[in-house]
Amino acid sequence: MHYVDEGAGDPVVLLHGNPTWGFLYRDFVGPLTRAGHRVIIPDMIGFGLSEKPTREDAHSLDGHVANLAALLRGLDLTRITLVCHDWGGPTGLGFALSNIARVRALVLMSTWAWPLPPAEFHTRIFPWRMMHAPLVGPYLMGRHNVLVTRGIYLSVVDRARLRERAQAAYEMVLPDPATRLLTWTWPRWIPLDHNARAFERFAWLERELAACKLPAMLVWGREDDVFDQATFATRFKQLLPHAEGPHLVTGRHFLQEDSGPEIAERIVDFLNRLKQTEARA
Amino acid sequence: MSDVTVIRPPSLDGLRRAFVLAEDRIGHYPEFRRFFAQTFNLDRDGLKQPGYLTTPSGNSYALVFIGRSGEPFPAGVEIHALVGALEPLDEDVADRDLWAILKWMIAGVGGDWTVRDLEATGRLYRVPAAM
Repeated sequence: MHYVDEGAGDPVVLLHGNPTWGFLYRDFVGPLTRAGHRVIIPDMIGFGLSEKPTREDAHSLDGHVANLAALLRGLDLTRITLVCHDWGGPTGLGFALSNIARVRALVLMSTWAWPLPPAEFHTRIFPWRMMHAPLVGPYLMGRHNVLVTRGIYLSVVDRARLRERAQAAYEMVLPDPATRLLTWTWPRWIPLDHNARAFERFAWLERELAACKLPAMLVWGREDDVFDQATFATRFKQLLPHAEGPHLVTGRHFLQEDSGPEIAERIVDFLNRLKQTEARA
Repeated sequence: MSDVTVIRPPSLDGLRRAFVLAEDRIGHYPEFRRFFAQTFNLDRDGLKQPGYLTTPSGNSYALVFIGRSGEPFPAGVEIHALVGALEPLDEDVADRDLWAILKWMIAGVGGDWTVRDLEATGRLYRVPAAM
Protein backbone atom coordinates (compact mmCIF):
# COMPACT_ATOMS: atom_id res chain seq x y z
CA MET A 1 0.00 0.00 0.00
CA HIS A 2 1.46 3.33 -1.04
CA TYR A 3 1.04 6.31 1.29
CA VAL A 4 2.26 9.84 1.81
CA ASP A 5 3.69 10.59 5.26
CA GLU A 6 4.58 14.25 5.89
CA GLY A 7 4.98 16.43 8.96
CA ALA A 8 5.02 15.73 12.66
CA GLY A 9 2.39 15.82 15.37
CA ASP A 10 -0.94 14.14 15.93
CA PRO A 11 -1.75 12.30 12.72
CA VAL A 12 -4.43 13.26 10.23
CA VAL A 13 -5.26 10.35 7.92
CA LEU A 14 -6.95 11.39 4.68
CA LEU A 15 -8.95 8.67 2.92
CA HIS A 16 -10.07 8.81 -0.70
CA GLY A 17 -12.70 6.75 -2.50
CA ASN A 18 -13.58 5.66 -6.03
CA PRO A 19 -11.83 6.29 -8.47
CA THR A 20 -9.37 8.75 -6.93
CA TRP A 21 -6.12 8.45 -4.99
CA GLY A 22 -4.04 10.47 -2.57
CA PHE A 23 -3.64 13.19 -5.17
CA LEU A 24 -7.18 14.27 -4.24
CA TYR A 25 -5.75 15.70 -1.00
CA ARG A 26 -2.79 17.60 -2.47
CA ASP A 27 -4.15 20.94 -1.18
CA PHE A 28 -4.43 19.57 2.36
CA VAL A 29 -0.81 18.62 3.01
CA GLY A 30 0.65 22.12 3.36
CA PRO A 31 -1.97 23.63 5.68
CA LEU A 32 -2.12 20.56 7.92
CA THR A 33 1.64 20.08 8.28
CA ARG A 34 2.19 23.81 8.86
CA ALA A 35 -0.42 23.61 11.61
CA GLY A 36 1.60 20.93 13.38
CA HIS A 37 0.06 17.70 12.15
CA ARG A 38 1.50 14.54 10.65
CA VAL A 39 -0.37 13.85 7.42
CA ILE A 40 -0.86 10.26 6.24
CA ILE A 41 -2.54 9.76 2.84
CA PRO A 42 -2.91 6.10 1.82
CA ASP A 43 -3.79 5.00 -1.68
CA MET A 44 -6.43 2.33 -1.23
CA ILE A 45 -5.30 -1.06 -2.54
CA GLY A 46 -6.56 -1.05 -6.14
CA PHE A 47 -6.04 2.67 -6.68
CA GLY A 48 -3.32 5.26 -7.08
CA LEU A 49 0.22 4.01 -6.64
CA SER A 50 -0.81 1.00 -4.56
CA GLU A 51 -0.96 -2.61 -5.70
CA LYS A 52 -3.90 -3.36 -8.01
CA PRO A 53 -5.33 -6.88 -7.72
CA THR A 54 -6.82 -8.17 -10.97
CA ARG A 55 -9.59 -10.43 -9.63
CA GLU A 56 -12.87 -9.06 -8.36
CA ASP A 57 -12.93 -11.37 -5.35
CA ALA A 58 -9.72 -9.76 -4.11
CA HIS A 59 -11.85 -6.81 -3.00
CA SER A 60 -14.32 -6.57 -0.13
CA LEU A 61 -15.28 -3.87 2.33
CA ASP A 62 -13.92 -5.89 5.25
CA GLY A 63 -10.71 -6.51 3.31
CA HIS A 64 -10.18 -2.82 2.70
CA VAL A 65 -10.81 -2.01 6.38
CA ALA A 66 -8.22 -4.67 7.23
CA ASN A 67 -5.75 -3.13 4.74
CA LEU A 68 -6.14 0.22 6.47
CA ALA A 69 -5.83 -1.35 9.92
CA ALA A 70 -2.59 -3.04 8.85
CA LEU A 71 -1.13 0.28 7.72
CA LEU A 72 -2.21 2.40 10.69
CA ARG A 73 -1.32 -0.23 13.28
CA GLY A 74 1.96 -0.85 11.48
CA LEU A 75 2.76 2.84 11.85
CA ASP A 76 1.50 2.54 15.45
CA LEU A 77 -0.59 5.67 15.04
CA THR A 78 -2.70 6.99 17.90
CA ARG A 79 -4.75 10.16 18.32
CA ILE A 80 -5.74 9.81 14.67
CA THR A 81 -8.07 12.23 12.97
CA LEU A 82 -9.70 10.33 10.11
CA VAL A 83 -10.86 12.37 7.13
CA CYS A 84 -13.24 10.23 5.10
CA HIS A 85 -14.61 10.75 1.60
CA ASP A 86 -16.74 8.41 -0.54
CA TRP A 87 -15.55 4.79 0.09
CA GLY A 88 -13.07 6.27 2.53
CA GLY A 89 -16.18 6.63 4.73
CA PRO A 90 -17.19 2.99 5.17
CA THR A 91 -13.52 1.99 5.15
CA GLY A 92 -12.27 4.64 7.55
CA LEU A 93 -15.24 4.34 9.88
CA GLY A 94 -14.84 0.57 9.81
CA PHE A 95 -11.32 1.11 11.14
CA ALA A 96 -12.30 3.86 13.59
CA LEU A 97 -15.18 1.96 15.15
CA SER A 98 -13.11 -1.20 15.62
CA ASN A 99 -9.98 0.67 16.82
CA ILE A 100 -11.64 3.40 18.81
CA ALA A 101 -8.69 3.83 21.24
CA ARG A 102 -6.46 4.94 18.36
CA VAL A 103 -8.86 7.57 17.03
CA ARG A 104 -9.17 11.16 18.16
CA ALA A 105 -11.72 12.66 15.76
CA LEU A 106 -13.67 12.21 12.53
CA VAL A 107 -14.19 14.46 9.51
CA LEU A 108 -16.83 13.18 7.08
CA MET A 109 -17.42 14.40 3.51
CA SER A 110 -19.79 13.13 0.80
CA THR A 111 -20.06 9.58 2.11
CA TRP A 112 -22.41 7.20 3.93
CA ALA A 113 -22.32 4.53 6.62
CA TRP A 114 -25.64 2.65 6.69
CA PRO A 115 -27.17 -0.10 4.61
CA LEU A 116 -30.41 1.52 3.50
CA PRO A 117 -31.74 3.60 1.98
CA PRO A 118 -29.17 4.11 -0.75
CA ALA A 119 -28.63 7.39 -2.49
CA GLU A 120 -31.33 7.90 -5.09
CA PHE A 121 -28.54 8.26 -7.67
CA HIS A 122 -27.33 4.73 -6.87
CA THR A 123 -30.76 3.21 -7.47
CA ARG A 124 -31.06 4.52 -11.03
CA ILE A 125 -30.28 2.23 -13.94
CA PHE A 126 -29.34 5.26 -16.04
CA PRO A 127 -26.53 5.91 -15.61
CA TRP A 128 -25.31 4.33 -12.39
CA ARG A 129 -26.46 0.69 -12.37
CA MET A 130 -26.00 0.40 -16.12
CA MET A 131 -22.44 1.66 -15.82
CA HIS A 132 -21.39 -1.25 -13.58
CA ALA A 133 -23.78 -3.94 -14.86
CA PRO A 134 -22.26 -7.32 -15.78
CA LEU A 135 -19.96 -6.96 -18.80
CA VAL A 136 -21.02 -3.32 -19.17
CA GLY A 137 -18.85 -2.38 -16.18
CA PRO A 138 -15.67 -4.00 -17.52
CA TYR A 139 -16.39 -2.43 -20.92
CA LEU A 140 -17.22 1.13 -19.86
CA MET A 141 -15.08 1.44 -16.76
CA GLY A 142 -12.36 -1.03 -17.74
CA ARG A 143 -11.75 -0.58 -21.46
CA HIS A 144 -12.85 3.06 -21.53
CA ASN A 145 -12.08 4.21 -17.98
CA VAL A 146 -15.22 6.34 -17.99
CA LEU A 147 -15.41 6.91 -14.24
CA VAL A 148 -12.05 8.66 -14.44
CA THR A 149 -12.25 10.31 -17.86
CA ARG A 150 -15.83 11.59 -17.42
CA GLY A 151 -17.13 10.64 -13.99
CA ILE A 152 -14.86 12.91 -11.99
CA TYR A 153 -15.29 15.68 -14.56
CA LEU A 154 -19.08 15.53 -14.23
CA SER A 155 -18.83 15.61 -10.42
CA VAL A 156 -16.90 18.83 -9.88
CA VAL A 157 -18.09 22.43 -10.18
CA ASP A 158 -15.06 23.93 -11.94
CA ARG A 159 -14.58 21.47 -14.77
CA ALA A 160 -12.12 23.58 -16.71
CA ARG A 161 -9.80 23.74 -13.72
CA LEU A 162 -10.03 20.01 -13.20
CA ARG A 163 -9.10 19.45 -16.85
CA GLU A 164 -6.17 21.82 -16.58
CA ARG A 165 -4.75 20.85 -13.20
CA ALA A 166 -5.83 17.38 -12.19
CA GLN A 167 -7.41 15.19 -14.84
CA ALA A 168 -4.13 13.78 -16.13
CA ALA A 169 -3.04 12.77 -12.63
CA TYR A 170 -6.20 10.73 -12.12
CA GLU A 171 -5.82 9.03 -15.50
CA MET A 172 -2.11 8.23 -15.25
CA VAL A 173 -2.45 5.85 -12.29
CA LEU A 174 -5.07 3.71 -14.03
CA PRO A 175 -3.37 3.28 -17.41
CA ASP A 176 -5.02 0.08 -18.69
CA PRO A 177 -8.14 -2.05 -18.10
CA ALA A 178 -6.39 -4.45 -15.73
CA THR A 179 -5.64 -1.58 -13.33
CA ARG A 180 -9.25 -0.30 -13.23
CA LEU A 181 -11.01 -3.27 -11.65
CA LEU A 182 -11.98 -1.51 -8.45
CA THR A 183 -13.72 1.30 -10.36
CA TRP A 184 -16.58 -1.05 -11.23
CA THR A 185 -16.19 -3.41 -8.26
CA TRP A 186 -16.81 -0.75 -5.60
CA PRO A 187 -20.16 0.30 -7.09
CA ARG A 188 -21.27 -3.32 -6.79
CA TRP A 189 -20.65 -3.20 -3.03
CA ILE A 190 -23.11 -0.37 -2.41
CA PRO A 191 -26.14 -1.92 -0.70
CA LEU A 192 -29.37 -1.49 -2.65
CA ASP A 193 -31.46 -4.01 -0.70
CA HIS A 194 -31.30 -6.50 2.17
CA ASN A 195 -29.52 -9.08 0.01
CA ALA A 196 -26.44 -6.90 -0.47
CA ARG A 197 -23.09 -8.51 0.33
CA ALA A 198 -22.07 -5.82 2.80
CA PHE A 199 -25.51 -5.29 4.34
CA GLU A 200 -24.53 -6.60 7.78
CA ARG A 201 -21.26 -4.61 7.83
CA PHE A 202 -23.11 -1.40 6.99
CA ALA A 203 -25.74 -2.21 9.62
CA TRP A 204 -22.91 -2.61 12.14
CA LEU A 205 -21.39 0.70 11.03
CA GLU A 206 -24.71 2.45 11.57
CA ARG A 207 -25.19 0.95 15.05
CA GLU A 208 -21.66 1.71 16.17
CA LEU A 209 -21.71 5.20 14.74
CA ALA A 210 -24.91 6.00 16.63
CA ALA A 211 -23.08 5.12 19.87
CA CYS A 212 -19.88 6.95 18.92
CA LYS A 213 -18.89 10.00 20.96
CA LEU A 214 -15.75 10.94 19.02
CA PRO A 215 -15.53 14.62 18.11
CA ALA A 216 -16.69 14.97 14.53
CA MET A 217 -17.13 17.50 11.77
CA LEU A 218 -19.24 17.27 8.62
CA VAL A 219 -18.20 19.05 5.42
CA TRP A 220 -20.39 18.84 2.36
CA GLY A 221 -20.54 20.24 -1.15
CA ARG A 222 -23.51 22.46 -1.80
CA GLU A 223 -23.79 21.06 -5.31
CA ASP A 224 -23.30 17.41 -4.34
CA ASP A 225 -25.79 15.40 -6.36
CA VAL A 226 -24.49 11.92 -5.44
CA PHE A 227 -24.66 12.10 -1.64
CA ASP A 228 -26.81 15.22 -1.46
CA GLN A 229 -26.26 17.15 1.73
CA ALA A 230 -29.95 17.48 2.60
CA THR A 231 -30.20 13.70 2.86
CA PHE A 232 -26.75 12.45 3.77
CA ALA A 233 -25.28 15.18 5.93
CA THR A 234 -28.60 15.29 7.76
CA ARG A 235 -28.47 11.53 8.39
CA PHE A 236 -24.93 11.80 9.76
CA LYS A 237 -26.10 14.64 11.97
CA GLN A 238 -28.83 12.37 13.35
CA LEU A 239 -26.29 9.63 14.05
CA LEU A 240 -23.69 12.05 15.44
CA PRO A 241 -25.74 14.91 16.91
CA HIS A 242 -22.63 16.38 18.55
CA ALA A 243 -20.88 16.74 15.17
CA GLU A 244 -20.02 20.22 13.88
CA GLY A 245 -21.63 21.28 10.67
CA PRO A 246 -22.43 20.41 8.06
CA HIS A 247 -20.16 23.13 6.77
CA LEU A 248 -21.18 23.73 3.17
CA VAL A 249 -18.54 24.51 0.56
CA THR A 250 -18.52 24.85 -3.19
CA GLY A 251 -18.37 21.35 -4.56
CA ARG A 252 -20.10 18.38 -6.06
CA HIS A 253 -19.09 14.85 -5.01
CA PHE A 254 -15.35 15.54 -5.41
CA LEU A 255 -15.52 18.66 -3.26
CA GLN A 256 -11.78 18.55 -2.55
CA GLU A 257 -11.19 19.59 -6.16
CA ASP A 258 -13.29 22.73 -5.82
CA SER A 259 -12.63 23.70 -2.20
CA GLY A 260 -9.49 21.88 -1.06
CA PRO A 261 -7.74 24.79 0.70
CA GLU A 262 -10.97 25.92 2.37
CA ILE A 263 -11.71 22.43 3.69
CA ALA A 264 -8.11 22.06 4.87
CA GLU A 265 -8.39 25.30 6.83
CA ARG A 266 -11.68 24.10 8.35
CA ILE A 267 -9.95 20.93 9.52
CA VAL A 268 -7.06 22.93 10.97
CA ASP A 269 -9.52 25.18 12.81
CA PHE A 270 -11.54 22.18 14.04
CA LEU A 271 -8.42 20.51 15.39
CA ASN A 272 -7.16 23.71 17.02
CA ARG A 273 -10.43 24.09 18.88
CA LEU A 274 -10.38 20.40 19.78
CA LYS A 275 -6.90 20.88 21.24
CA GLN A 276 -8.14 23.76 23.37
CA THR A 277 -11.07 21.67 24.58
CA GLU A 278 -8.76 18.80 25.46
CA ALA A 279 -6.44 21.19 27.33
CA ARG A 280 -9.33 22.56 29.38
CA ALA A 281 -10.42 19.00 30.22
CA MET B 1 -33.41 -5.39 -32.00
CA SER B 2 -29.93 -6.75 -32.52
CA ASP B 3 -27.72 -7.91 -35.33
CA VAL B 4 -25.80 -10.19 -33.02
CA THR B 5 -26.60 -13.83 -33.71
CA VAL B 6 -25.95 -16.99 -31.75
CA ILE B 7 -24.21 -19.51 -34.02
CA ARG B 8 -23.27 -23.15 -33.84
CA PRO B 9 -19.68 -23.89 -32.81
CA PRO B 10 -17.55 -22.95 -35.81
CA SER B 11 -14.43 -24.68 -37.06
CA LEU B 12 -11.48 -23.15 -35.28
CA ASP B 13 -8.93 -24.32 -37.85
CA GLY B 14 -6.51 -21.51 -38.59
CA LEU B 15 -8.01 -19.28 -35.87
CA ARG B 16 -6.98 -18.21 -32.42
CA ARG B 17 -9.00 -16.85 -29.54
CA ALA B 18 -8.05 -13.26 -28.77
CA PHE B 19 -9.21 -12.19 -25.30
CA VAL B 20 -11.20 -8.93 -25.30
CA LEU B 21 -13.34 -8.70 -22.14
CA ALA B 22 -13.94 -10.55 -18.85
CA GLU B 23 -16.68 -10.45 -16.24
CA ASP B 24 -15.97 -12.07 -12.87
CA ARG B 25 -19.47 -11.63 -11.52
CA ILE B 26 -22.07 -12.25 -14.19
CA GLY B 27 -24.74 -12.79 -11.52
CA HIS B 28 -24.25 -9.44 -9.79
CA TYR B 29 -27.70 -8.77 -11.17
CA PRO B 30 -29.13 -12.34 -11.37
CA GLU B 31 -31.15 -11.65 -14.50
CA PHE B 32 -27.91 -11.39 -16.46
CA ARG B 33 -26.86 -14.89 -15.43
CA ARG B 34 -30.31 -16.22 -16.31
CA PHE B 35 -30.06 -14.66 -19.75
CA PHE B 36 -26.79 -16.41 -20.56
CA ALA B 37 -27.93 -19.69 -19.02
CA GLN B 38 -31.06 -19.70 -21.13
CA THR B 39 -29.46 -18.44 -24.33
CA PHE B 40 -26.72 -21.07 -24.33
CA ASN B 41 -28.56 -23.89 -22.52
CA LEU B 42 -25.97 -23.77 -19.77
CA ASP B 43 -28.12 -25.60 -17.22
CA ARG B 44 -28.00 -28.58 -19.60
CA ASP B 45 -24.61 -28.17 -21.26
CA GLY B 46 -22.53 -26.67 -18.45
CA LEU B 47 -18.89 -26.31 -19.42
CA LYS B 48 -19.17 -28.54 -22.48
CA GLN B 49 -18.36 -25.81 -24.97
CA PRO B 50 -18.22 -22.01 -25.30
CA GLY B 51 -21.13 -20.04 -26.68
CA TYR B 52 -20.52 -18.46 -30.09
CA LEU B 53 -21.79 -15.24 -31.62
CA THR B 54 -21.42 -13.28 -34.81
CA THR B 55 -21.62 -9.50 -34.84
CA PRO B 56 -22.60 -6.97 -37.51
CA SER B 57 -18.96 -6.70 -38.57
CA GLY B 58 -19.04 -10.35 -39.54
CA ASN B 59 -16.60 -11.31 -36.80
CA SER B 60 -17.22 -14.24 -34.52
CA TYR B 61 -16.76 -14.38 -30.77
CA ALA B 62 -16.48 -17.17 -28.23
CA LEU B 63 -18.08 -16.76 -24.81
CA VAL B 64 -16.17 -18.87 -22.32
CA PHE B 65 -18.21 -19.37 -19.19
CA ILE B 66 -16.53 -19.62 -15.82
CA GLY B 67 -17.67 -21.68 -12.83
CA ARG B 68 -16.79 -20.93 -9.22
CA SER B 69 -17.33 -23.35 -6.34
CA GLY B 70 -20.33 -22.51 -4.21
CA GLU B 71 -21.91 -20.16 -6.77
CA PRO B 72 -24.58 -20.68 -9.42
CA PHE B 73 -23.20 -21.38 -12.89
CA PRO B 74 -21.97 -19.42 -14.70
CA ALA B 75 -20.11 -17.22 -12.23
CA GLY B 76 -18.26 -15.31 -14.94
CA VAL B 77 -17.64 -15.07 -18.65
CA GLU B 78 -14.75 -14.21 -20.93
CA ILE B 79 -15.30 -12.88 -24.43
CA HIS B 80 -12.73 -13.86 -27.04
CA ALA B 81 -12.60 -12.71 -30.65
CA LEU B 82 -11.92 -15.43 -33.20
CA VAL B 83 -9.17 -14.07 -35.44
CA GLY B 84 -6.68 -15.49 -37.86
CA ALA B 85 -4.13 -17.49 -35.93
CA LEU B 86 -1.24 -15.18 -36.80
CA GLU B 87 -3.24 -11.97 -37.32
CA PRO B 88 -3.52 -9.02 -34.92
CA LEU B 89 -6.86 -8.08 -33.47
CA ASP B 90 -8.40 -4.91 -34.91
CA GLU B 91 -9.15 -3.17 -31.59
CA ASP B 92 -11.49 -0.57 -33.08
CA VAL B 93 -13.63 -3.20 -34.75
CA ALA B 94 -13.56 -5.32 -31.60
CA ASP B 95 -14.69 -2.36 -29.54
CA ARG B 96 -17.70 -1.74 -31.80
CA ASP B 97 -18.45 -5.46 -31.75
CA LEU B 98 -18.38 -5.47 -27.97
CA TRP B 99 -20.83 -2.60 -27.89
CA ALA B 100 -23.13 -4.56 -30.22
CA ILE B 101 -22.82 -7.60 -27.93
CA LEU B 102 -23.70 -5.46 -24.91
CA LYS B 103 -26.78 -4.13 -26.69
CA TRP B 104 -27.78 -7.69 -27.61
CA MET B 105 -27.28 -8.74 -23.98
CA ILE B 106 -29.29 -5.86 -22.51
CA ALA B 107 -32.11 -6.44 -24.99
CA GLY B 108 -32.12 -10.08 -23.99
CA VAL B 109 -32.06 -9.42 -20.25
CA GLY B 110 -35.00 -7.03 -20.67
CA GLY B 111 -37.22 -5.94 -17.82
CA ASP B 112 -35.91 -2.70 -16.36
CA TRP B 113 -32.78 -2.96 -18.51
CA THR B 114 -33.19 -1.20 -21.84
CA VAL B 115 -30.94 -0.61 -24.82
CA ARG B 116 -32.09 2.99 -24.67
CA ASP B 117 -30.52 3.38 -21.21
CA LEU B 118 -27.36 1.61 -22.34
CA GLU B 119 -27.03 3.94 -25.32
CA ALA B 120 -27.72 6.97 -23.15
CA THR B 121 -25.05 5.82 -20.69
CA GLY B 122 -22.58 5.31 -23.53
CA ARG B 123 -23.28 8.78 -24.89
CA LEU B 124 -23.06 10.42 -21.44
CA TYR B 125 -19.62 8.90 -20.96
CA ARG B 126 -18.63 9.51 -24.60
CA VAL B 127 -17.78 5.99 -25.56
CA PRO B 128 -16.86 6.09 -29.27
CA ALA B 129 -19.08 3.15 -30.24
CA ALA B 130 -22.10 4.92 -28.75
CA MET B 131 -21.56 8.32 -30.37
